[in-house]
Amino acid sequence: MVRYFFKRLGMMLIAMFFIILLTFVIMHSIPGGPFTSDKKVSPAIEEAMNEKYHLDDPLPKQFMDYLGNVLRGDFGPSYKYPGKTVNEFIEDGFPVSAKLGGITIIFVLLAAIPMGILAAVKNGKWQDTLMMALATIGVTIPSFVIASILIYLFSYKLSLLPSYGLDSWKGYILPVIALGGYSISYIARLMRSSLLEVLGQDYIRTARAKGLTEHQIVIRHALRNALIPVITVLGPTIANLLTGSFVVEKIFAIPGLGVHFVDSVTQRDYTTIMGVTVFYATFLMAMTLLVDLFYCLIDPRIKYD
Amino acid sequence: MENKWGKLKATNEDREKIWKKNRTFAGDVWFRFRHKPTALAGLIIIALLMFFAVFGPNFTDYSYSKQNLDVVNVPPRMRVYETADGEAYLYITQNMKLLEVSKDGHLGSQLEKVREDSGRYMTIFDYKGTEVALYYGQKPYLVADPETLVIYPHTTVWNHSYLLGTDSLGRDILTRLMYGTRVSLVVAFVAVAVNLIIGIAYGGISGYAGGNADQVMMRIVDIISTIPLTLYVILIMVLLGSGLKSIIIALGTVYWVDMARVVRGQVLSLKQQDFVLAARTIGSPTKTILFQHLVPNCMGSILVTATMLIPSAIFMEAFLGFLGIGLRPPLASLGTMCNDATENLRTCPYQLFFPALVIVLIMFAFNFVGDGLRDALDPKLKK
Amino acid sequence: MSDKILSIDNLNISFMTSNGEVQAVRGVSFDVHKGEIVGLVGESGSGKSVTCMSILRLLADTAVIREGTIRFEDEELTRVSKAEMRSIRGDKISMVFQDPMSSLNPLIKVGKQVEEIIRIHYPKKTKEQLYQETLELFRKVRIPEPEKRFHSYPHEFSGGMRQRVMIAMALANRPDLLIADEPTTALDVTIQDQILKEMRTLRSDYGTSIIFITHDLGVVAELCDRVEVMYGGMIMEQAPIDDIFENPKHPYTLGLLSSIPDVTQDKSKRLVPIPGSPPDMTNPPKGCPFAPRCPYARNICANEIPEFYTIDENHSSRCWLLDEEAPLEDNPFRT
Repeated sequence: MVRYFFKRLGMMLIAMFFIILLTFVIMHSIPGGPFTSDKKVSPAIEEAMNEKYHLDDPLPKQFMDYLGNVLRGDFGPSYKYPGKTVNEFIEDGFPVSAKLGGITIIFVLLAAIPMGILAAVKNGKWQDTLMMALATIGVTIPSFVIASILIYLFSYKLSLLPSYGLDSWKGYILPVIALGGYSISYIARLMRSSLLEVLGQDYIRTARAKGLTEHQIVIRHALRNALIPVITVLGPTIANLLTGSFVVEKIFAIPGLGVHFVDSVTQRDYTTIMGVTVFYATFLMAMTLLVDLFYCLIDPRIKYD
Repeated sequence: MENKWGKLKATNEDREKIWKKNRTFAGDVWFRFRHKPTALAGLIIIALLMFFAVFGPNFTDYSYSKQNLDVVNVPPRMRVYETADGEAYLYITQNMKLLEVSKDGHLGSQLEKVREDSGRYMTIFDYKGTEVALYYGQKPYLVADPETLVIYPHTTVWNHSYLLGTDSLGRDILTRLMYGTRVSLVVAFVAVAVNLIIGIAYGGISGYAGGNADQVMMRIVDIISTIPLTLYVILIMVLLGSGLKSIIIALGTVYWVDMARVVRGQVLSLKQQDFVLAARTIGSPTKTILFQHLVPNCMGSILVTATMLIPSAIFMEAFLGFLGIGLRPPLASLGTMCNDATENLRTCPYQLFFPALVIVLIMFAFNFVGDGLRDALDPKLKK
Repeated sequence: MSDKILSIDNLNISFMTSNGEVQAVRGVSFDVHKGEIVGLVGESGSGKSVTCMSILRLLADTAVIREGTIRFEDEELTRVSKAEMRSIRGDKISMVFQDPMSSLNPLIKVGKQVEEIIRIHYPKKTKEQLYQETLELFRKVRIPEPEKRFHSYPHEFSGGMRQRVMIAMALANRPDLLIADEPTTALDVTIQDQILKEMRTLRSDYGTSIIFITHDLGVVAELCDRVEVMYGGMIMEQAPIDDIFENPKHPYTLGLLSSIPDVTQDKSKRLVPIPGSPPDMTNPPKGCPFAPRCPYARNICANEIPEFYTIDENHSSRCWLLDEEAPLEDNPFRT
């Protein structure tokens, strides 16, 4: 277990190195410097800027400097907003996104798991058909469409919920649904098929032969086993919520990190793009690692040594 | 009846008779596929959408890029006022002009503005010599006779010039939808084809080579799959600039990892089997074994993975389009159309509705076909 | 023999599948007496497992009991409510399944799984009682170091050990009837023998009746008092164990016996397999299901299903060759 952890940590560090390298190479292979884009600046100013940001150094040295800074947790200054650093963007935006994401993931689990259980237990009955129809809709409709429909219905037509901002608890409802819609559907489908598979196992027949009620069988013998695949997709689910947040934060005008990232992409704010990418990647990989560790606590069969 | 105690003639063939009906593999798959209504419906929807995207533009008089600022944001169903002579309707455009609409719903020209009567919140227009007033003192705006102040009778009529209405630059939404569907499908198919080639080659080589080469290649795949790929699609888009080619390259080069894993797993298990040994004993070269024996045998799972990849490519393209880093205007894709529509969502929900509907249809169709194929190819389900 | 505890009469079970109705069990009748071990023998698909699963009503939802009665002590098992059925399962009737590898829940400690069966039927027992009883059961089925093994997970056990756990579980509430569905098939021969020993001890210690399902006549010889031979969803021959081996009265039984290897046998004499494969039960043959594979089959065999012919009080067989009118030439049963 400890060895497995360190092996995974090692792989994560290698991946991180490649991510930083790749991001750096991509950002530096874009033709033209960061200050040559739109506004005409005088050569003198451009030179001064280049000097200030060490853009005249040879690329390997720039990369080593950047790597060193990143390891110290310093993502450098923003090129588009003078005086602002990328760290400030992250410090401002991430807590907002993280809160929204955290609420969403709790909502997803609370909604999806019971949905999947209901569908599996009522396999073939109308409850199953209804749940799976809902889930198919959730998987196939993109989040920005769901978000727009929700805004149109609940904000414009019914005037029940705000269409932007997170000022009150009401403001969270629509973004959380739009953000979690896909994951709810995905996890509900997974939960259903996984529970159905478990219910077909021999040990469930054993449990029946013991004289347990169907209720006891599902709760005591099937649920824990069926949850294992759900836990393995928690990592990808977090990644999904994160990319979903780009769109949802944009639509609902939520000042999170996602919308900052998209802005920096459209405005070509290179250091911000690099910084936020590296930050997101680290965060996601750390979450996936945590989920995997949690996974082997649940299943006694797994020994990673 | 013949002698009931006579010996029963039973041949060995009778005894060994196979009780099940015998079909070819492809016939078997098709049999199971077409007995799934959702899968069949998905296939039909895909065919119809492809027809719509490929041949649709031949049937329309508009281009996807030509703007007509006279007819901005005209909905498919218009609220119109009947003129005094009863021969035409008048439609109030968003920029406060009056548009003549024929009785059968075709849009005509704008009426000429005569004067502004801001004291009475009216703009006076000329319709065949008579003056009509656009009253904007209250919502909804009205059309009335400026002298008698009698409001013209209103009704609603379908828009026959622009069946699905126009967008905020006066472009025909139906035409843009055809081009948008075409772009989305092209992006998806080409990107998936690129993924397929990279994935099959990588996974095939890794699985067939085995040993250390396989170890190294799979560690690389492990590392790539820990990287959040959406971020990389976005980075590549930043590097290449927006445009159709960039999207295809970005999507095509990133999502092959799953495919490589599937192919490798299949090749790894298939190459242990005797028919590969047989091919090797008769001296077939590696290339023949790999591409004539192994790859065709993993076609089933490759097909399913690819079918499932198509909706996610369409999804990603729409996602990029929605974020504004996809196609360059005036080129349309379903995602950019949705993005454009969100700005007028409150007044013109139809602008979002149609492209969103097409996206949803495509997603449904491919998901259904993929599910159907997977079930049809899965021999475990054969009873 | 003493009184009957289980009596199955004219049982007919069908499965509804996409290919039509599969008649898995057709008119099966037999009795089990107190303390008796009955062997149910037949190849896969002969309906033996389905018959036994129907006693505890553990069949899939697609299975329908078309006809027949299953009487256990004073209750009609095809009619009792679900709750009554549950109170019988694991208490008065328990079951051991074929594959011990997959029959235990991989995520729950084995001790807890055994405790559970006692706890649900006797909820008043204290934790300490449950624990002690479980340890006692582990000792009974000779699981070494029961205190330590109590806290192990199934994957830490070998196949034989797991089957012992399954047997411990089945014994927990001292059932009147134990149904063992090929409990030794998935095990090594040496382990097999130990498990059979456990079964015999169980019968002598508790007086439990056992229905033992197998396709292995060798195992039957070691363990059973009486044998029911099944083929194509029907019972073909029923007889005390000695009669089956010494005086078989059905061509299928003959076939089964001649496919048992024997070390003392002359090596030049090959084992005789039964040619062909079992019938398709979506469309069962009109006559005797074994007729297409039977070396002695007559025209009548293909057209009419034979009734039971009584050989003696305890021995009967379904075969036209036993008919009074049946000709004597090429007939192993009438001389």
